[in-house]
Amino acid sequence: MNFLPYLFAAYAAIWIALFLYLLRLGRRTADLEGELRELKRLVDDRSR
Amino acid sequence: MRDALAILRKDLRIEWRTRESVSSVFVLGVLLLVVLTVAQDPEAEQAPALAPGVLWAAFVLTGLLGIQRTFLLERENDCLAGLLGAPIDPASIYVGKLAANVVLLGLVQAFVLPLVGLFLHLDLVPALPGLIAVCFLGNLGFAALATLFGAIAVRVRAREVMLPLLLLPLLVPLLIGAVQATRGVLAGGLVLAGGGITVLAAFDVVFTVAGWLLFAYVVAP
Amino acid sequence: MSRILPAATGIAVLAALALVFLVVPTEADMGIVQRIFYFHVSSAWVAFLGFFTVAGASAVYLWNGSRGADRLAHAAAEVGVLFCSIVLVTGPIWARPIWGVWWTWDPRLTMTVILWAVYASYLMLRAFGGGDEAVARYAAVLGIVGVLDIPLIMVSVRLLRGIHPAVIARNEGGSGLVDPWMRIGLLVSAVALILLAWWLTTLRVRSARLEEELATLRRRLFVRPGEVA
Repeated sequence: MNFLPYLFAAYAAIWIALFLYLLRLGRRTADLEGELRELKRLVDDRSR
Repeated sequence: MRDALAILRKDLRIEWRTRESVSSVFVLGVLLLVVLTVAQDPEAEQAPALAPGVLWAAFVLTGLLGIQRTFLLERENDCLAGLLGAPIDPASIYVGKLAANVVLLGLVQAFVLPLVGLFLHLDLVPALPGLIAVCFLGNLGFAALATLFGAIAVRVRAREVMLPLLLLPLLVPLLIGAVQATRGVLAGGLVLAGGGITVLAAFDVVFTVAGWLLFAYVVAP
Repeated sequence: MSRILPAATGIAVLAALALVFLVVPTEADMGIVQRIFYFHVSSAWVAFLGFFTVAGASAVYLWNGSRGADRLAHAAAEVGVLFCSIVLVTGPIWARPIWGVWWTWDPRLTMTVILWAVYASYLMLRAFGGGDEAVARYAAVLGIVGVLDIPLIMVSVRLLRGIHPAVIARNEGGSGLVDPWMRIGLLVSAVALILLAWWLTTLRVRSARLEEELATLRRRLFVRPGEVA
């Protein structure tokens, strides 16, 4: 039985999982930062 | 400790008056037994081997629904708020509720156990003392966690699915220990059941203490 | 300071990959598939570390209500479940060519599934338990109980008969790392994944803090007496 595909599959799975998690985290953080900036601007506008 | 006994008596008296939880849980237990047996459709000789698994699967599932019911009832009537208003230590409330649940589950076990013997062609009488011991140990551990998490589940959203979701993974060691111990007891006595009983006893100790300590954090305002 | 962690992680991961694929000798019995083992086992260790972190942070949170501890608990649970999932995916991929089956109920794999389920339920509680801040307290209770369950899971799982006694023999025989380079490979892989998990956790904690800041700001901005939210 050729073992190489299995080795590849295992490491591919690991990196895909990590990559997807990082992607999701990055996107959520970017969205949050964006929203935070918007709201902070609103606060500044109101207080002016 | 006196407070705990008072709570135990209150809960049992409420249950006795309505007999709602016990009777519906009992019927449910029978139904589950039937379902679990019929789903596997064993041959007559194979049936006794299924008994430990069927027994404990039925107990756990029935117990889950029963305990969920008791907590929901309390929530509906806001009993817990009343209890917490009184100067009672939350830990005593936990002990009282734990005891009440142990009694209720014990009643279910008392009904379901002979039925398993009946449905699966198993003579339970020679193994009875061992079986009772194993049932009690399993009962206690189950109630210890279920009382703690029942209080949690009833306070959050998605509460119908929360209790099984939170409780079942944690209960796996108990289930394994109980099934192995039951198998050992049916095969030849408490000695063979040693491994399972050790797990059950350890489970009971760890989680009654943990529940006793942590309950206060669940019911804190 | 926050630059060091990602950089160190990157270096460690590269080093680990280099060792695993270029330096470490091929194992006699299992061939090159055995190279999965380095990241498989390391992921398991990382998952355990994550779950212990959840318990510790949960205890701190119950003790003094520290929001930082609560955020750490949630983040560690997420990262822990992530690496636990990696263990559960790489395990069968390793098992299939060696033993011909995708799954075995051997003690370690069984224990990993149960652990995964416990902390997945933690994440479910957090996600769907509702917005009440008491949910953080309930999750903390679960986090602590989960870790208390671990030794019980380990002991009980050895009572199961399992399908492949041969698999159990393999596990009890230890990692079977004969060559010193194999041991180094495992060590470096473990360090790499620990750093990676640590970095992911800090990122997740930052995201949680932003969420909380946002919620406070929104409350202040939009809900004022007489105003319709």
